[in-house]
Amino acid sequence: MSDVVLREPAHRVSPRAVPYWRLSAAIGDAIVAIAAVVAYVVVPGMPGWTIVLVLLVVAAAVAHVVLMPRIRYRVHRWEVTDTAVHTRSGWIGRESRIAPISRVQTVDSRQGALMRPFGLASITVTTASAAGPITVDCLDADTAREVVARLTAITAATEDDAT
Amino acid sequence: MIPSPGDGWSRLSPRKLLLDPVKAIGQAFVPVVVALVGISQSDGGFGWVLLPIAVVAPLLFGALPWLTTHYRLTDTQVQVRSGILSRNTSTAPLDRVRSVDLEASLLHRVLGLQKVEIGTGVDDDRITLDALAAADARALRTTLLRRREPPTTGPVEVADAPVDGEVAVPPPSAPPAVELARIDWSWLRFAPFSLGRLVLLAGALGVLSQFGNDLPIWNEETARSAWEWIIQFALVTVVLVLAAGALAIWLVVSVAGYVVQWWRFLLVREHGSLHLTSGLFTTRSITVEKAKVRGVEMTEPVLMRLVGGAELSTLATGVEDGVTQVLPPCPRDVAIGVGETVLEHRGPLTAPLVEHGRLARRRAWFRQLREAVFLVVVAAVAAWWFDVSWWWVGAGGVALLLLAAAVGESSYRHLGHALTGDHLVAGSGQLARVRTVLETDGIIGWVVSQTWWQRRIGLADLVATTAAGNERVLVHDVRLEVAVALADAATPGLVREFLVEPAEAG
Repeated sequence: MSDVVLREPAHRVSPRAVPYWRLSAAIGDAIVAIAAVVAYVVVPGMPGWTIVLVLLVVAAAVAHVVLMPRIRYRVHRWEVTDTAVHTRSGWIGRESRIAPISRVQTVDSRQGALMRPFGLASITVTTASAAGPITVDCLDADTAREVVARLTAITAATEDDAT
Repeated sequence: MIPSPGDGWSRLSPRKLLLDPVKAIGQAFVPVVVALVGISQSDGGFGWVLLPIAVVAPLLFGALPWLTTHYRLTDTQVQVRSGILSRNTSTAPLDRVRSVDLEASLLHRVLGLQKVEIGTGVDDDRITLDALAAADARALRTTLLRRREPPTTGPVEVADAPVDGEVAVPPPSAPPAVELARIDWSWLRFAPFSLGRLVLLAGALGVLSQFGNDLPIWNEETARSAWEWIIQFALVTVVLVLAAGALAIWLVVSVAGYVVQWWRFLLVREHGSLHLTSGLFTTRSITVEKAKVRGVEMTEPVLMRLVGGAELSTLATGVEDGVTQVLPPCPRDVAIGVGETVLEHRGPLTAPLVEHGRLARRRAWFRQLREAVFLVVVAAVAAWWFDVSWWWVGAGGVALLLLAAAVGESSYRHLGHALTGDHLVAGSGQLARVRTVLETDGIIGWVVSQTWWQRRIGLADLVATTAAGNERVLVHDVRLEVAVALADAATPGLVREFLVEPAEAG
């Protein structure tokens, strides 16, 4: 059994997640980049080499906004079978999570203000372990509703206290 | 105004009327004295008007909880009512009672009282009854815990270890209370090697130094003359004397702390629970339901390992803090023996661990050396800035790198995993050797994560999530295929449907 690997979960997240991630990354990075530039312009008597730092910050911000959403879209995947929930996430690192449906305690869906215009929603499935919540980021809102309904139906059928 | 308890409601012990006011006066003493001194200094005579209020108010407020708190035991529930303006009623279904802990501070014990805490499986939701007469508290505990057992034939006598007096031998009709461990004073030899209390000592010294600042003798002039006096004598001698003094203080504090905490320590198994009692001044009595214990953790701190000592904790669900230390620092064999009894399996605590290999060792070294190099760089910059001799930076850097290499190697040697029957075993720890054992039934999910560094060399961190203990058991820096195979073997059927041959995975 030692030469098997974990396959990727069956489904990708919504393609609209890419522009959403790009926008939210852009907002966060813009604040940092602008702060760096403003600090460079406003503070008098900066040594010459600090311009290199400022340029590095700006370049990193641009790279983050351009590359991160694409890589993340390739990595993020999810699957709900009759017995388990399986997700994969990350962009520099990787993280796979598996939880048996029989141990699921709550199913939450969340739609942030910025997610609404893109028609996206996230689902979080929690178990009795604080280390075990599974989040599927940026599903199509309709898909999210279906998955929540299905998970709730399955978990309602199990009567255990799931510890 | 105050409802009389009827319908089977009972009050807490009337001796609480002594307990709370004494406590309240103790707490209010300093502010009241400060206020009185302040007032009497600013406006003579006026303060004496306030004195009766200052004394009566704590008494009154101390008495209120006793007047307003009632509890009762119905056929299905424990109920506690409290509060004056807003009434709180806490209830717990009897079949949900997971643990009943008794605690008595010195004051409680003088008054023959005990504080009862009832745990119900939900972490924060504990019902506290402070305080009952000791006999009532023990009777309540036995009643609550016995309800969970399958009905036994005939009346069952209480077989508790009394707080005072000799430990009672269980009457023949009682369910056998199996003794798992009791204090052996030869274990005192481990006390100085357990550094947990060092923090307390450091805190106490910090407080003392606060007072030290206010001492009149401690001004700059005496300091300077004292320093010159020290310099005149051999500095080495002074340092040696100070070190010997610190060591002596540490010996006294650690041994005294051990005695105070573990006095009359007894661990038994009864009513389907593990039951621990100990303490010289404050007696603790902790009960963990056996069915809720999902595993154990054995820790061998670095100094204690030199003398063959270990500590043991249980990992349980539904306890306030899922990790309960059930043994004082004691010989490793004792910890293993008790651990195996608790787990009801031989092996998980002694089985050899699967090593994680060359790459994991490289990671362990690399991780420590990276931090050491970072510190050296910071030190070098600081040395350059403050113009300190480079000799110091060099010496410090070499020492730091050697230390990092040693810690890296030791953290690799502690690393490992095993699957022994129904138990997942994970080895970890940098300086201390920690072995965590978790029932595979207690695993409620898996997380396989890889940082960028780990991905390059095919390693991963495998986390078994659980409701017990710290809610996660980490198998660190293990080869990805091994991690996946381990997860599959530990929870058959859960991971299988997501497995493929490597070629298909792409």
